Amino acid sequence: MEESKAYIETGILELYVLGQLDAHEQREVEGMAAKYPEIKAEISAIEIAVEQYAVQHAIQPTKGLDQQIFEKIIVHSNSVSAEEEIFSAADHEAKIIPLQRDQSASTIKTLRYALVACIGLLVVSVVALYAAHDKLNVANQQILALNTDKEKFASTVSFMKEENKDLQEIATISSDPTWTSVKLAGTKISPQANMMVYWHRKGQHVIVDNTKMSLPQNDAAHQYQLWAIVDGKPVDLGVFDAKSVSGKLLIAMKEVGNAQAFAVTLEKRGGSISPTMEKMVVMGGVSI
Amino acid sequence: MATNNKISLTEEDLVRALKDRETIAIKALYDMYSAALLGVIFRIVQHSEIAEDLLQDTFVKIWNSADSYDSSKGRLFTWMINIARNISIDKLRSRDFRNANKNQDIENNVDFIDAERKVTFNSDTMGLKDMVTALKPEFNSVLDMVYFKGYTHVEAAEELNLPLGTVKTRIRMAIMELRKHFN
Repeated sequence: MEESKAYIETGILELYVLGQLDAHEQREVEGMAAKYPEIKAEISAIEIAVEQYAVQHAIQPTKGLDQQIFEKIIVHSNSVSAEEEIFSAADHEAKIIPLQRDQSASTIKTLRYALVACIGLLVVSVVALYAAHDKLNVANQQILALNTDKEKFASTVSFMKEENKDLQEIATISSDPTWTSVKLAGTKISPQANMMVYWHRKGQHVIVDNTKMSLPQNDAAHQYQLWAIVDGKPVDLGVFDAKSVSGKLLIAMKEVGNAQAFAVTLEKRGGSISPTMEKMVVMGGVSI
Repeated sequence: MATNNKISLTEEDLVRALKDRETIAIKALYDMYSAALLGVIFRIVQHSEIAEDLLQDTFVKIWNSADSYDSSKGRLFTWMINIARNISIDKLRSRDFRNANKNQDIENNVDFIDAERKVTFNSDTMGLKDMVTALKPEFNSVLDMVYFKGYTHVEAAEELNLPLGTVKTRIRMAIMELRKHFN
């Protein structure tokens, strides 16, 4: 008795009648109602009160609505009951639920297509990016190769310019009377050797012509040294290498204003103070 | 009742007839309860055409679900009211309904409709409406939110910013007050 009274006072029965309880709570109330008649009576009293409250707010339906309802129901009751259930369920759902479901389903469908499209785009993008990256690499390599080529050409051009300048100078020297060309001929130790020295008496310039040089190639430890014979004494005019490989065409030597002859000896690298006469390869007198 | 051709049966007979799928049962239920059910539905959806459509749905559902009614669990009329309320609340919360009613001022419709339409009064309870509306407004408003506006008691507590216990108490007090008048 006490238990049922306390239970009634919790207010759960009102919520039960108003349909506010979940399935579990409903079963609990129904269990209590089956156990305690006073709870069952209390529920009925609440129901009657709430029903009357609804009756107080009644609104008369439009005339003829009852016929519409009866027609619907009679159509249903004429069919088999199993069918009826499906029919009514479908009928009911068609009114409310499917609209939402259809919409969300179509949204999901759209999103799915969008996702597929996105993935497709991503794949295409990655492929395109990879291809572009590849091409870029090739282009970079080509640029490097072209740069190397360009540098080669530039150095070739500058070398050729230099060479051209020297050739022109040789041409000028040979046609200029102020320049004296001295031909040095081979000595006993190297009869095949010969070379050409240009000497500008006034300007005291001495130039060795690399194009008209035929000396045995010197090794790394030795160099050729040019001497001017001035009043019988050798004057050092500097050292040079006999190179078969390309180099400068004209080699400017030390200056000398007065010389009767020029001679070349093979000396240790860097040159000697006085010439080693037995290593003299070429010599030639200045013709006046 | 015979004077206006309306059918009225005892609850026991009604339930049996309904479960036996006798169409007279649905006719009797309509005569006895359609106005009260429409009143409940209308107050939830606030739209007279939709309310009548839902009233049809309600009766179809009552007819089709008759087997699931268990008289040991509650009165038939309460069961019917709860079917009507659930159908109405489903409608109220459905997307198409919300979209269609965005521009309507829901709160102001009830008095207008009540004044315009012929509200039926049971002769036995004539005058009680005034007494009921004279209930303490704070008790009544919670009950009305749950019963007539489609709120759950939890939503009502949130809406009114009240503890759930207070909401339960107020619902109970409001119903106690109703019982003083009706029982």
